[in-house]
Amino acid sequence: MLSIDKYAYSNRWAEWSPLTKAGIWLGLMILAFQPLLWLKFSMLVCVAIITVRITQVSWRQYVKWFYAILPFLFLSILGIVFTVSQQKQDLLIACHLGQTYFGLSKTMLPVGAKIGIQAFSAIIGTYWFALSTPFTQIISLLHRLHLPDNLIEITMLMYRFIFIFIESCEQIYHAQKLRFGYDTIGLTLHSSGILAQMLFQQVIVNYRKMELALAAKLYDGEFRIS
Amino acid sequence: MLELKNLSFGYEPQHLILKNISLQLGNNHQHVIGLIGPNGSGKSTLFLNLVGVLRPTSGQIIVDGQPVKYHKHNLQALRQKIGIVFQDSDQQLFYSIVQDDVAFALNNLKYDTTEIQRRVQEVLEELDIWPLRKSPIQYLSGGQKKRVAIAGILVLQSEWLLLDEPTAGLDPDGRKRMAQLISHLVARGQKIILSSHDMDFMYDVCDYFYLLNAGQIIAEGTKKTVFTNQQLLENNKLEQPWLVKLHQKLGLPLYNNAQELFDQHDSM
Repeated sequence: MLSIDKYAYSNRWAEWSPLTKAGIWLGLMILAFQPLLWLKFSMLVCVAIITVRITQVSWRQYVKWFYAILPFLFLSILGIVFTVSQQKQDLLIACHLGQTYFGLSKTMLPVGAKIGIQAFSAIIGTYWFALSTPFTQIISLLHRLHLPDNLIEITMLMYRFIFIFIESCEQIYHAQKLRFGYDTIGLTLHSSGILAQMLFQQVIVNYRKMELALAAKLYDGEFRIS
Repeated sequence: MLELKNLSFGYEPQHLILKNISLQLGNNHQHVIGLIGPNGSGKSTLFLNLVGVLRPTSGQIIVDGQPVKYHKHNLQALRQKIGIVFQDSDQQLFYSIVQDDVAFALNNLKYDTTEIQRRVQEVLEELDIWPLRKSPIQYLSGGQKKRVAIAGILVLQSEWLLLDEPTAGLDPDGRKRMAQLISHLVARGQKIILSSHDMDFMYDVCDYFYLLNAGQIIAEGTKKTVFTNQQLLENNKLEQPWLVKLHQKLGLPLYNNAQELFDQHDSM
């Protein structure tokens, strides 16, 4: 997921004003949630093409970024369309257990499809924003929106340290994998436990190191954000 | 001038990490002071005592004739006088963009914006990282991150700069640039204390040495006195620099650095 950050800095629209981009994003959200299905669908296709164009990412990579989100979307829609009924004719694909039928509800199916497209269009729009807006622009945007400084400070620190956290997570994972730590399900569980424990310990050690560095830089309890 | 008088330090009083250390740093002939010693000898602990992060169990640190006091405003003044750059760059860079991070200490001191911008630009140019000023820190190389970490302290214009293992993890080019940077800083009057296990590097850049082991100063002196004593270095798990080995084993003159040797060779 972190490669998204690299594209955000290097895409063709990186230098555009963050306010313009935030405005476009808002417009896309309105398009995603308005009632006309054809409009949602055309927005979805257009924005996907534009995103791939401006970031020059391959379609294959672009689709891969949705892998993390699609299972959630699928499960939510399943929750809407899957139902229980006494009459078989209410259901599209049905199986029965005694007198009760389980299956996809005929009435809920269009609702499910509509919500699915709606959510997917919103995700496509948000990915466009994430892929075209560098993090520094997002921070300056939060500033212009007059959000509390503490919130912006925490956002900034999380962004900075998430890379360090993922890097050490990867290092431990590779070290374990190279010594066959993930060969079976049992070993995977065991190794994941050790990984979590080590990350926690590292957080504590790194916190101490950060404290020293903050003291050297005369930290007074506040991160100033320009 | 920094002076340590009978300084001892331990997290527990019965297990001292630094034992009764007395020394004076910053005499006329000392510009770059090297602190050498094996792992666990107390080098980093000594650094942390010098910047007031750790408080001596007994003894005193005297800065320009005044004993260090540990009130908040005294410590602020001390850390403006003595800046420290730690080994791990990632742990001391907090902002996502280079110039924001370099300005951090000055922002904490509430300098006005124009002065902050002026100093940040000056330091970034001096360290040859001005083109990186708007770069995201996570995409910099190890050597570049190290420079940004040093820049973040140099903006304070502190009289003393402590560098803990400045070449750890750097490639040969990064190491060479670090040596050049140190001589550049010294030429403009910066006083530096550095610790490293890279004996060749230390031999090249430092002009006075303290050898620390098990919390005690075992030896001190110029390049010549410390590094020509092979037995002393081996007893303390250290090694002679290759220039000294050439001198002692092959009978070549003792050169101050590699450049001197090659210049000599060229002129023959």
